[in-house]
Amino acid sequence: MELISLKNVTKNTKIMLLKELGYDSDGEFVLDGQGKKVLDKYLEIPVSVNNMVILPGSTLILDDNELSLSKYLEEFGDVF
Amino acid sequence: MSSKDPIDSIASGVTKGVLDWSTDLVKSLAKKFRDRKLAFIQDNETIKLVREQYNSGELNFYKIYIVDKDLLFLVKLGLTLRKLEENLERRTNLRNKIFKKYELRGLHIAQFVENGILSRYTAILIDNLISIEDLKKKIANTLNDIEKYALFVQAKESDRAVIELARTKVFANSPDIFVISGISPASEIVKRCEVTITKLLTDYELERFSSGHKENLFYKRILK
Repeated sequence: MELISLKNVTKNTKIMLLKELGYDSDGEFVLDGQGKKVLDKYLEIPVSVNNMVILPGSTLILDDNELSLSKYLEEFGDVF
Repeated sequence: MSSKDPIDSIASGVTKGVLDWSTDLVKSLAKKFRDRKLAFIQDNETIKLVREQYNSGELNFYKIYIVDKDLLFLVKLGLTLRKLEENLERRTNLRNKIFKKYELRGLHIAQFVENGILSRYTAILIDNLISIEDLKKKIANTLNDIEKYALFVQAKESDRAVIELARTKVFANSPDIFVISGISPASEIVKRCEVTITKLLTDYELERFSSGHKENLFYKRILK
């Protein structure tokens, strides 16, 4: 699987990508289709556009941290 | 190195600086994502580190003896913390996240692994092995009741408080093995308290396990 880094991508581009995937943003956080803040599935914290990862598995948007990514691997296996 | 395919360029890291992707590129990447051909990440190093722990030999060893999935996950996070030793910011961030999700007990279990205590602790248990089932049970008991078996010294604590806490925990719980652990500035506190604590714990023999800026004292109960 190809891994595309969002680290050096402009915020506008990230928001465009989110919209293409059915999400949105208030400029800081990722929002779902209903305009609610998307929470990291494993930590239950709002995911910021600047620190998001978008992973396969019903389009999972997580905060970029070792705990959430480890949990993701536990649930979905080493898909990378 | 160059590539005419913008997706190839992004994936191979050819493109540098702040990137504005075209609408067509975004649509193309989104399609590839939906086809499960790519994922969007921040930092390759984070994924690499997490994958290393997922497949590590030490974790596979613990998988034999730790059945509980939550405990095993905390062990994995402890191994990850150890790998982040040189990256203070990420280490602190992960410690905070562990504390938020698993509270102090979870953080201490991870710290038990991070400091290399669990590996030595298991080795001591194996020295007195009765059966594999007994070993599994003892490891689970220790991790589940980590506060009874270990004292994690913090840099802000006074020598007197550490000595009193160690004494109280050991006398209240009579563990077969009791560990006192300190990292960086706290390791100096552990070193200073060692003589006094060893004198107090007359039913125990001391095994010191130190490396770099870590100081771990293992007090093993003596059969009298």
